[in-house]
Amino acid sequence: MNIVVAGKGGSGKTTIAGTLARALARSGRHVLALDADTNPMLGVSLGLGPEETDILVTVRQGLDTGEVEHQPTTDGLIQTFGANAPEGIRLVVCSRIDQIDPG
Amino acid sequence: MSGTLIIAHPVRSAALRVGPVRIAIVGKGGAGKSVISGTAARLLARRGGKVLALDSDPMPGLAISLGLGPLTEPFLEGAAEQSDDGRWRLRKGIGAARAVQRFAKVGPDGVRLLQFGKATPEGLGPIMGSLNAFFQVTHRLATTGVLREWNVVGDLPAGPRQAAFDWAPYADTFLVVVEPTWKSILSARRIARIATSRAGTVALFVANKVHGSSDVKLIEDRLGTAAFGAVPADPAVIEADRRGAAVIDETPACPAVTAIARLVDQLMRA
Repeated sequence: MNIVVAGKGGSGKTTIAGTLARALARSGRHVLALDADTNPMLGVSLGLGPEETDILVTVRQGLDTGEVEHQPTTDGLIQTFGANAPEGIRLVVCSRIDQIDPG
Repeated sequence: MSGTLIIAHPVRSAALRVGPVRIAIVGKGGAGKSVISGTAARLLARRGGKVLALDSDPMPGLAISLGLGPLTEPFLEGAAEQSDDGRWRLRKGIGAARAVQRFAKVGPDGVRLLQFGKATPEGLGPIMGSLNAFFQVTHRLATTGVLREWNVVGDLPAGPRQAAFDWAPYADTFLVVVEPTWKSILSARRIARIATSRAGTVALFVANKVHGSSDVKLIEDRLGTAAFGAVPADPAVIEADRRGAAVIDETPACPAVTAIARLVDQLMRA
């Protein structure tokens, strides 16, 4: 199943998404956790630790620095830029805004 | 493990503010930005200054905390027009001063509110005119003579995006609202770093929803810097939110409003 968690800021999206992912993994499913927030914190709720979450490589960063050449596949992106989270969950962070827009 | 934040521009301490308070309120979702923005705007107005409150969230909510009730419509409809090349510009005769005069809603204590409205299920399309007018007005606030003495309080959406994309050029100070949770602290650190990378901008941290001084200390330790102010966790704030009303109207003497009043006094001196 593919689940999107959405809602107002501070309503608990990340906590619910992270806990849901853990519960699904625990029941034996393969889980891909996708953090699509430009202020990505899903790692914290998955149990990865705050400082570790803060420095996870994002797909956007990875592609921008040219770590992957040519047209990458989805599986390739998950493999290259994903991180392992507890209970076998694979976490992929899309992008993170951490500097002012030069334009 | 505790993180260290090095702020490029030092926190202004006792230097005198010569002019109005011009702040942008930022932080993680749910940190309490709108409540602090709305309450601070009301209190600034009560201290005698003209106040422009800006809600730059496509899911606007500042009106509630200002005591105007829930308002989601685009205020600046018709203020901008699109030229043939697709660019938006303010209509002839509408500068920042006129836009505030004609399009801002007047709330309690005489606070003026501008917002560009709420994103629709189809996206921002229907409010693009209002949004562009809003953006251009905010970029002219600093140079529009008659508005130069106005206090400006900008309530930005959650996260770092608008700080990164120059949505608060009027602000010399970013108030970074931070709760005693790791997610909130990480967000605050990142947003402060982005905001202060523009020259002449300082970030001041406001610890919010704290249960006592140990929460403030936890936040300060993890930020690696002192908090400018602290606002206690207060059931009155939650109750006002539940009713869709401004806490300053519902419970004017509650601990949170009292703490925000102290914050405003500090800002007027800062």
